[in-house]
Amino acid sequence: MTTGRAVNGFLLDITGVLYNSIYKSDGSAIPKSAEAVDFVREEDVITPAPVVAQYCREHELRPHLFVRDDVLEYFDGIDTTSPNCVVMGEVEEGFSFDRINRAFRVLLNMPKPLLITMGNGKFFQRVDGPCIDVGAFAAALKFSTNCEIVMIGDDLLSDVGGAQACGMRGIQVKTGKWRPDFEKLPVKPDLTADCLYDAVKMIADNGFRL
Amino acid sequence: MSRKIKTALIDLSGTLHIEDLAIPGAQAALEKLRKHVAESKNLLHQRLRDCGFAIEKDEIFTSLSAARDLITKQQYRPFFILDDKAMEDFEGIPTEDPNAVVLGLAPEKFTEEYMNRAFRLIKEKNAALIAIHKAKYYQKKDGLHVGPGFYAAGLEAVANVEAKVVGKPNKLFFQMALESLGNVDFSSAVMIGDDVDDDVIGAISAGMHGILVKTGKFRSGDERKVQNVAESFVEAVDMIIENKV
Repeated sequence: MTTGRAVNGFLLDITGVLYNSIYKSDGSAIPKSAEAVDFVREEDVITPAPVVAQYCREHELRPHLFVRDDVLEYFDGIDTTSPNCVVMGEVEEGFSFDRINRAFRVLLNMPKPLLITMGNGKFFQRVDGPCIDVGAFAAALKFSTNCEIVMIGDDLLSDVGGAQACGMRGIQVKTGKWRPDFEKLPVKPDLTADCLYDAVKMIADNGFRL
Repeated sequence: MSRKIKTALIDLSGTLHIEDLAIPGAQAALEKLRKHVAESKNLLHQRLRDCGFAIEKDEIFTSLSAARDLITKQQYRPFFILDDKAMEDFEGIPTEDPNAVVLGLAPEKFTEEYMNRAFRLIKEKNAALIAIHKAKYYQKKDGLHVGPGFYAAGLEAVANVEAKVVGKPNKLFFQMALESLGNVDFSSAVMIGDDVDDDVIGAISAGMHGILVKTGKFRSGDERKVQNVAESFVEAVDMIIENKV
């Protein structure tokens, strides 16, 4: 017999859940996360970049792009000359302080500085330890340029407590940035599992109910 | 005519010089100010000697000395993110097993490696965060660069810490600077600088006068925030001498 409410979709955080980030390399998959993803159709995978590109088109924004090379394709056809906003993606790859300084100068020269960030994570877990994430640079750019920030991303949802506050169920996986003392925190996940695969398998075995 | 201003605190980078270039006319203006001001001690820099300014090292009061005082008082063992040249002010301070991060102007050290090390010390070891100052940006020959305040704000946002600011615009810094000159009368002191928030408004909040100069990191629009504005240090000195402050 299966109990619980239907689960119709999974929102996945990536770093620390699907794969581990390793300095200056492609990183490595967390065991069995590929099998876990097999439960999901590729067309059901949603990431911030295309959403941000669409936001730029709708608001007639000309972005200075500070993003990974492999999401540039989503911005094809968008005018990027005389930028009137900065789009900042993740900082794991292609990050340099020179690029940050350039983004800063672009913002400072705008009459109404606007920064669009993909996510607002405080830190991401890399194999050698925690590293400051987009959220740190968004706060720093706001301090130095007094810019307005628009955050588009999955961070609110990837935080278990944040998800629950939206009426979703939140699942904690014990990979990535998880630490045993998380159990002392006031947020109580709907499910805790050793890894993504175990969480998805538990739900699948329960008839996609939780 | 009684002299209203008896002491001057002068910002260095952006006000008297930009890297190794003096602001035109500033050397002569400084000598003019020396003669006018009651206390003959002003504040200058070795680099300024190279630009042609005649100053003594003990005339310089920096936030580095204030930082050193704080570190020894609190018995901090710092992880320094500071220019190598500034490190001589911290000789003899223990740095093993750091319990504090000291963040100053250190462009070569504003790297992923240094910032993440600082982040991990604060987050995992509860290290304190000391900011020499919180400049949002500063002027170099090739343009504006983000300052230590940028990184301090970033670390504050993600490491759940509040930076202790040792230098400008901390009121204590201005007090200590004036005390070192033997003058505690704020109403007859003036701060001359290019940073409208940290130099000028900082000084005014501490009870001094302030003059904003339109050199260095000055940006159009800054002049609307304060009363005394001068084209450069040269005109600022004239304002003081003519009692227009």
